[in-house]
Amino acid sequence: MTAIARALPDLFRVGFAGIVAYRAEMTIWILTATLPLIMLALWNAVAAEGPVAGFDQVEIARYFAATLLVRQLTSVWLVWEMNYEIRSGRLSQKLLKPMHPLIQYAVEMIVSVPFRSVILTPLLAALLLWRPELWKTPAPTAVALFVVSLALAWSINFLVQAVFASFSFWVDKTDGLFGVWFAAWSLLSGYIAPLDTFPDWARQILVLLPFHGMLGLPVEILGSFIAPGDALPQVGLQVFWVVVLATVLAVLWRAGIRRYGAFGA
Amino acid sequence: MIEARALRKVFRVPEKDPGLVGSLRSIVRRRTRDVVAVDGIDLTVAAGERIGFLGPNGAGKTTTLKMLTGLLHPTAGSCQVAGYRPQDRAPDFLRAVTLVMGQKQQLMWDLPATETFLLNRALFDLDRAEWTRTVEELVALLELGPFLNRPVRTLSLGERMRCELAAALLHRPRVLFLDEPTIGLDVEIQATVRRFVRAWNEKHGATVVLTSHDMNDVTALADRIVIIDLGVLRFDGSINELQLRFGTGRRIVVRGDGQALAGLEFTPDGSGGWQRTVLASAVNPVLQEVLRRLPSADVTVADPPLEEVLTRAFGEARQQRSAG
Repeated sequence: MTAIARALPDLFRVGFAGIVAYRAEMTIWILTATLPLIMLALWNAVAAEGPVAGFDQVEIARYFAATLLVRQLTSVWLVWEMNYEIRSGRLSQKLLKPMHPLIQYAVEMIVSVPFRSVILTPLLAALLLWRPELWKTPAPTAVALFVVSLALAWSINFLVQAVFASFSFWVDKTDGLFGVWFAAWSLLSGYIAPLDTFPDWARQILVLLPFHGMLGLPVEILGSFIAPGDALPQVGLQVFWVVVLATVLAVLWRAGIRRYGAFGA
Repeated sequence: MIEARALRKVFRVPEKDPGLVGSLRSIVRRRTRDVVAVDGIDLTVAAGERIGFLGPNGAGKTTTLKMLTGLLHPTAGSCQVAGYRPQDRAPDFLRAVTLVMGQKQQLMWDLPATETFLLNRALFDLDRAEWTRTVEELVALLELGPFLNRPVRTLSLGERMRCELAAALLHRPRVLFLDEPTIGLDVEIQATVRRFVRAWNEKHGATVVLTSHDMNDVTALADRIVIIDLGVLRFDGSINELQLRFGTGRRIVVRGDGQALAGLEFTPDGSGGWQRTVLASAVNPVLQEVLRRLPSADVTVADPPLEEVLTRAFGEARQQRSAG
């Protein structure tokens, strides 16, 4: 563990150099992920008729502004990266290093966060200048809880994609399979619509699934749609999903690596 | 340093008939076939040895290397490298070995090689001062200075391969697995790589296991040759022993008037001379006849080129296999 801690500054430095090398591609990629802004405009029009599921126009705009931020800060592309590296044999290079490949992947993904923040800051600042009423200062406890919840949301995203990518040890391509998951996630995580727009019975089930902990929960905490006291058990649920997914991943990885063909490398 | 006992690797590969019908059939019933890549190899390599691991394409060389570096789990048998079971991939094992693949690279394509060196320092948890010393040594030996800070994608193949070697040796591994390290390189760079590997082995006492199709690599670097074909070990010994066993003939080269050699089955050797390979027992009669016809000719008698010996060795191995 101390070896990993010692390695992190250099890993971040090199990883960031990589992100900077691909800055144009990365910027375009970030800017194209603007579905929350489209949803903002759409729901804004709907809420003009009157509050939707308790959200008025300002609240719905704040919800999707927070969604844009959380989505960007929890975004990972592991399923495509790992899938390619397993199939092409490039994973071998990671396997030959004394640091676990999944930790190497995690660092590769995390280093994009500061870069994303740099791109996002002016975008969100412009939004707040245009509509200052969207800003609502969260309580200090909410801020702390948001940071924890955001880190856990990132972890769940990473682990889910690692689980799907691990299937590549057995089948040729798993990104199609992940597409099915992604469709479910878009609908059930709060990405397209807040969970409050679902019937109450459905909402009670949905908050128990991992999707909500991947996006909806940190969004609700940041936008002050949930009180810190009510959010705490759900953060606990995020921890639960992290443990479950990490266990599943450990089993899959252990079995998968025995099947790894190291083809072409 | 390396011990392999009855090492075996079987790949299960999917099979599909061509065309739409084949595709549909493969959905309903997935057909697979077992391919034996390595079939019970026994191998012992002492610390500091340099061995050439040879065989035709598909012989099982790279699969063996991948098992010895822990990338592949053996289907059966066992192996130990530097005191570790490779497939456990213990961090100390990974610090003790390196694998350089001529056709695959670890360098980051759009960044200078120095960034990969820095990355490896972090991943191998290397002491900063020691890492700096090693980098300086490798930069000097491999003459990397002029292009060290250029993005890897802008380097020539030779420059890239030298950076690749440096990146692979930063942690000063005790065992070097080199899989066709000179493939595609020009003659001068090939010689640089060979000189470097030899110097590194002699200076640091590292064990070197080399696969190559280039016999110059083998003659320059390997003290011992191991031949594998169809997954089975066919020969293990020195180059001299290989010549004795498979090089049954001697090569006679004559520099002189080719017309005078008519009827003696000499063929052009490609450099203005005439050559013929004969059994050792036939050398004297042929030489006497040549000198009778061309008393002032320049005549040399040598072992046949290693390529010829290996072709014979591979062919014999395949015959044994089909007979067995």
